[in-house]
Amino acid sequence: MSAILDVKNIEYTYIQKGKLFAKDQTFHLGPVSFSMQAGETIAIVGNNGSGKSLLAKALAGALNIEKGEILIANKEDGRERHNTIRMILQHSADAFNPALSIGSILSQTLRLNTDLNENQRREKIEETLVNVGLLREHFHFYRHMLSDGQQQRVALARALILDPEIIVADEPFAALDPSVRSQTVNLILKLQDELGLGFVFISHNIGIVRHISDRVLVMDKGVIIEQGKTHDVFTHPRTILTQKLVQAHTNLVEKHFVQKYA
Amino acid sequence: MALLEIKNLTLFIDAGDETVKALEKVNLTLNEGEIRALVGESGSGKTLIVRAILGAIPDNWSIKADRITYQGKSLLDMSGEQRRQIMRREIAVVFQEPASALDPSVKIKEQIKESIPDEFITKAWPWKQNKQREELTVNLLHRVGIKNHKRYMECYPHEIPTDISQKIMIAMALASEPKILIADDSTRGMESATKTQILRLLLKFNETKKLAILFVSHDLLAITSMAHSMTVLYCGQTVESGKVKSLLKRPLHPYTKALLDSAPSFQVSLPPKSKLVTLEGTIPTLQHLPTGCRLGPRCPNARKECVMVPVPRNIQDHLYSCHFPLHLPKNTKHKVYKEVKL
Repeated sequence: MSAILDVKNIEYTYIQKGKLFAKDQTFHLGPVSFSMQAGETIAIVGNNGSGKSLLAKALAGALNIEKGEILIANKEDGRERHNTIRMILQHSADAFNPALSIGSILSQTLRLNTDLNENQRREKIEETLVNVGLLREHFHFYRHMLSDGQQQRVALARALILDPEIIVADEPFAALDPSVRSQTVNLILKLQDELGLGFVFISHNIGIVRHISDRVLVMDKGVIIEQGKTHDVFTHPRTILTQKLVQAHTNLVEKHFVQKYA
Repeated sequence: MALLEIKNLTLFIDAGDETVKALEKVNLTLNEGEIRALVGESGSGKTLIVRAILGAIPDNWSIKADRITYQGKSLLDMSGEQRRQIMRREIAVVFQEPASALDPSVKIKEQIKESIPDEFITKAWPWKQNKQREELTVNLLHRVGIKNHKRYMECYPHEIPTDISQKIMIAMALASEPKILIADDSTRGMESATKTQILRLLLKFNETKKLAILFVSHDLLAITSMAHSMTVLYCGQTVESGKVKSLLKRPLHPYTKALLDSAPSFQVSLPPKSKLVTLEGTIPTLQHLPTGCRLGPRCPNARKECVMVPVPRNIQDHLYSCHFPLHLPKNTKHKVYKEVKL
């Protein structure tokens, strides 16, 4: 099986302008390279400020990378990327225009990226809404009328509507409550199964990472310090940072079982 | 005696043309030196309980309760001044989202100095007082595990990372050496290493200072690792409450079970990529609360009796309110369980 996504040595420097006399603060991402097979799930973990979100943005094309290249299904990085890689933002609720109905938000995405006419767009939107477990009627709803879980589903619908091959998600589960989180995890697993999506996501929740990802990338200070099969990384972490992350998690889980069975 | 006791707290929110029961007959006790977790999803009224304890209640809310007592003294009958004294010295709160709870226009140093009560300053001369305050501030920062205090004291809140501001919030709460610490969702959105640090910190204060902690969160991993007892809240109703150990071992309420099952870390034999157990639907909004047991529409074993509010029952300090509890020895049902008198 060939890679659908090939990231080769991408680099990016983020500069935050300092105050009057203070120095500019810079953050350097990269060089980062990894590749991804069709239908694979990759999790990116790491501490705050390790460049995870920047990497996600770079993948989705929201940043202009300075060096390196991102190849999609062996195609050169180009305009079709916007249809192949779609992104779900960290706070999906804030990413919708409150003044537009869900239908017009989704329709906008289609209008800008495809040549479908009004009726075809309508059809496509309804189909996608049903696909993510919402109703056709949600077409006419506004953001504030939906619950957290439903908003997350709309965010997923917006990502799916262009039939992408890869979805990049920045902390898709962080803001959700436990029961809704499990629902979303189930939904993503189901969609992946049906559509063969590649899924790249950032998460702090080691439990979920362990459950759904095939491979893990551990990032620190803008570079990938460790990557490998989820099981291998978690059972035999090689770097100190990974060991700390895993240890912290397993300690908490162990305490849980001590409480339960002691 | 219980340090903090809440009995049948009902909170009404006046939303223009209708009144909503945002909390319905909530019970909660916090004993001395105990860590109690208050668990519930967003919209279940956790923060409302915290605000009811604090007395930070807007005009369109009203409270009805059998009692809310602190060390046997009723908080509801107190004057504003007395209550403020207690809140100032005995009960401290660490609010949600430290970044927004800190004053963005004041330096960290000044904010912590302000939170130290005047009684702790023993020096007579103003310049010496100021120096003493500064020393106490540094001391506090060291106690919460910030070693290089110089790095953060002169900063404004936006310049410091979230986990440090969380620690600073804890430092400010501990400045008055309280008896109770209420931590409102302190570990939200933290990665596991930082989370463990904060939990260890709270646990340390609990062990060394006998600090009672009300830990409000929906992070089950954090809760089960340190809390002694927990109260599970759903939609403004207490569904189950008791020792963490017995709740984990045998949850009696379907909601508690669903909550525990939803965390993949707790399932040892769960194959990767398999479906997680979860309840259908989402938590209803305050405008559309179901009658009776509020879990009703989402509950897997709901029957027609569930339109009535279940009476809370108690077995060995394990309180639950459900008509059809899980794991119930059938033949002993009527002998063992005694109804709690309301």
